[in-house]
Amino acid sequence: MRNMIRLVWFDLKTELKPPVWIITEWIIFLVQVSVYGTMISQLVTGVENYHSFFAVGLVIMITFDMASHTGRHFVEHAHEGRLPYLLSLPISRSKLFLTIALQGGTELALMLAVPLTVTVMIMGNLTLVSVAACVLTLFGLGFGVAGLMLALSFVAFKSSDLYTAIVTGLSTIIIRFSTVLYPFIFLPPQYASAAAFSPLTYGADLVRFILGFDPAILVNPYYAVSILTALAVSTLGLGLILIQRLVEGVKSA
Amino acid sequence: MYAVETKNLTKRYGKTFALKNLDFTIDENEIMVLLGPNGSGKTTLLLILATVLKPTSGQATVMGLDVAAQSTRVRQIMGISFQEARGFWRHKPADILRFHASVCGVPKTERDTLIENVLRDLELWDARNKLFMHLSGGQAKRLEVAKVFVHRPKFAIFDEPSSQVDLRGKRKIWAQILKLREEGSTILIATNEVREAEYLADRVTVLDKGKPVVCDTVRHLKDSITGGDVVELEIDTPQPHTLKRTLSQMKGTVKITNSGANNFKAYVSMAESWVPRMTDVCYRNKARILSIRVTEPSLDDVFLHFTGRALRGASNA
Repeated sequence: MRNMIRLVWFDLKTELKPPVWIITEWIIFLVQVSVYGTMISQLVTGVENYHSFFAVGLVIMITFDMASHTGRHFVEHAHEGRLPYLLSLPISRSKLFLTIALQGGTELALMLAVPLTVTVMIMGNLTLVSVAACVLTLFGLGFGVAGLMLALSFVAFKSSDLYTAIVTGLSTIIIRFSTVLYPFIFLPPQYASAAAFSPLTYGADLVRFILGFDPAILVNPYYAVSILTALAVSTLGLGLILIQRLVEGVKSA
Repeated sequence: MYAVETKNLTKRYGKTFALKNLDFTIDENEIMVLLGPNGSGKTTLLLILATVLKPTSGQATVMGLDVAAQSTRVRQIMGISFQEARGFWRHKPADILRFHASVCGVPKTERDTLIENVLRDLELWDARNKLFMHLSGGQAKRLEVAKVFVHRPKFAIFDEPSSQVDLRGKRKIWAQILKLREEGSTILIATNEVREAEYLADRVTVLDKGKPVVCDTVRHLKDSITGGDVVELEIDTPQPHTLKRTLSQMKGTVKITNSGANNFKAYVSMAESWVPRMTDVCYRNKARILSIRVTEPSLDDVFLHFTGRALRGASNA
């Protein structure tokens, strides 16, 4: 356990000296919510409290970005030559991969600290239970997306360009075809069908449900919990199996 | 028990064999050097023993521990210096070594002194607070090997430990490797630098295309080349032809050529025993030896002898 913490802290302390990237993300979020969110909430009619709806959407997008960053980070480590070094350290494989997930989780928690607090405050729902439930949902979504990116990393061992193209394309589709910015029930049928396959739909609507949005405009929260859990378990499991076989079996590792 | 043992070890990438049915051993407290061109399977073998890669088939053990089944335990007694130092662009050398030492279980009380000593020995002390990305190639390489010197594992692996390093730096690295062995470590080094192999090796294994060609001490390998030693002689004699014929018939002589009226070039086996016999023959033939120059074969010649190809030109990577 101490080695896992050492590993996480070794990278994190460098990234936090100074914490420019986190503060920049926070500023971008605050500007988006205060300027763009205020403007667009006056244009969108038919959705009660669209400003908060939009703020939750931004939180989900940050979660997605951070989680996919964890997967990409792993691939970069493999190409930069850091992965063989990590694999040679006296840490078991399962703990090493848990450490990678823990590092992603810690970065996600840091990144979300301000956006989530602001969003919950805007909603007037700043309670321990609501924050804890939101954090759990976001972590579930984060693990699912990170697992998806890790599972895709086998492509990167063949071609990093192809991996970048696939991940960029997939990210665009997953974000655009989801309920991150628009309620499910107002989506055109074809768009809604596609959105049903995006994990962000379930993450965003579950957080909104927890924060007290009208359940009538959201996907069923029980479906959301089941799908997010299944996604996190399956993609992380698949990702770990694939990676374990890949990193110890291919030349580029 | 061998410190390291492989049996039928095979590693395949698709249809290409990086290692093929490799049987290989290292004794405890020995420095074994793997010599071979790029693509000969040296790095693959090191990565398998370091548990970074899994073998396709066969078995490998380190201090009796199976690298596939007991990989975490192997990593607890093993340290590796990789061919290329990469990956910690935004960290400082002192921090990297401190982190490495703590993860590898170097006691906290010894850590700082040990790190300072190694940094000073390898002339990295002044660069200890530079970012890794600002280090020169030679400094980065010295930092890579420094990890093993700080860790001081029971089994140490070095992949081309002194490549990209200047001669002075090479000497310092080699001295540290010898010191590590004195302290009880078993050491495996992969290199294609003949001088490094000759300086460090207790035994050398010549690898070619994933297979061991020959394994022995440097001396035995050189002696195993028939006619590998070259003795250049300048002899003042009234009967050079008679002397040449007599020398040609001596035990250990493979071939004698003339490079001048009184100059001979003798290709012999084991010059150290041939030269005394030759002086005796000259004395009896009333010939006066004006000069002798003995050149022994290099490990490059050993590689050429056993594989039919030169070490430098044999790269297939």
